[in-house]
Amino acid sequence: MAGQSDPKLSIFSAAEMEFLAEDEMVEIVPNMRMEPLNLISGDYGPFRPQIPASVPYWLAVALKKRGKCTIRPPEWMSVETLTRILEAERDSPREFQPLPFHYVEISKLLFDHARDDIPDIYMVRSLIEDIRDVRFHKVETGLETISARTHAVKLKNLSAMEVNIVRPFVVRTLQAFYKHDSPEMIQQPSVTSNRRLPATDRGPRRDLRQR
Amino acid sequence: MPHYYDIDDILTEEELMPVVFQKAATGVGLLDPSSETNNIEQGAKVELPFWLAAELQRRQAAMMSIPPCFNQTTRKEIQADAGSVDLRSRCPYFYELGSKIALVVGDQTIGSFLLYAFMNRYKEVLSKSHTAAFAATTKPLILLTKEETHLYEAAHSSISAFKKWRMGGSRYETSSFIGRKRKPVE
Repeated sequence: MAGQSDPKLSIFSAAEMEFLAEDEMVEIVPNMRMEPLNLISGDYGPFRPQIPASVPYWLAVALKKRGKCTIRPPEWMSVETLTRILEAERDSPREFQPLPFHYVEISKLLFDHARDDIPDIYMVRSLIEDIRDVRFHKVETGLETISARTHAVKLKNLSAMEVNIVRPFVVRTLQAFYKHDSPEMIQQPSVTSNRRLPATDRGPRRDLRQR
Repeated sequence: MPHYYDIDDILTEEELMPVVFQKAATGVGLLDPSSETNNIEQGAKVELPFWLAAELQRRQAAMMSIPPCFNQTTRKEIQADAGSVDLRSRCPYFYELGSKIALVVGDQTIGSFLLYAFMNRYKEVLSKSHTAAFAATTKPLILLTKEETHLYEAAHSSISAFKKWRMGGSRYETSSFIGRKRKPVE
């Protein structure tokens, strides 16, 4: 699967990431009565007033725009949980906390369209910004450890948007290092040349983050 | 293996190399600006583009030596402070040319030198490209070679696209396909 915004490169634009994130499910509380929706992606509903229903974000946002429901923010989007995550992110400089894969996009969606449904929205928003900044800084310091012996990078618990931002840079970097470290460029010292390592074994794989 | 029409590869091979002719050559005086006749004598020192020099070297008509951007002075400067060496003015295709030369000349030190240079300069690029998304910084770009510039651009464009998205803007954009006008049929 590749993005459509740039035909030459297989990267996603931020708006495309948001589009993908809209398939995640969320709980809404409708205030109208409606028959179940039978769509290709699944059946949603039936919708009864004050009875929660589970729908994808795109449907939730569409209903919300028409004033037909309130969105229940996901569990992780509370001040207590986010404060705890932020603390944990700051305390562990070498690993990422598990967060929903699309947390950046989902939080933006809800901040744009469902401001009145999120309790303590200012606090929540600044907490998420802080978490994102801390995590991105970690990614950057992690990337500094890439060297000639790196030919794979493992990033656990990294979210979709974070991966998407660093993808073009990391891919180019790894390609460049691979090229400069190819066996025909870096000759082994002549003493050990008779027992040279096979080209496939290029040193231990380095994890960007140990877990 | 780069593409035949890869412009970067073509420009890489245009870089001038110092060459000493091992044989006299007639009728090619235009290669040597200091030559008074139309011939090049044996032992003449000429600067030729890499693509020609490599062919002459292969036929043992000329000996290629290492261009100034890979000499000891540059190596010492790279060892001292890799990030602040202006490689762009010395050779914009530093890494590409270096790896080509290493194979032709057979100098085994160039490979590890290139790797060392890239490894240390990469960190500079990394730290600058992701942080300087808003400030219109063109200064670091002056020092970077072509390959490093590509890296910088990749990081810079993705982070600025993200910031633009976060700030908001039109949620729906018309596809370029929809806006396109149909070409008139003549």
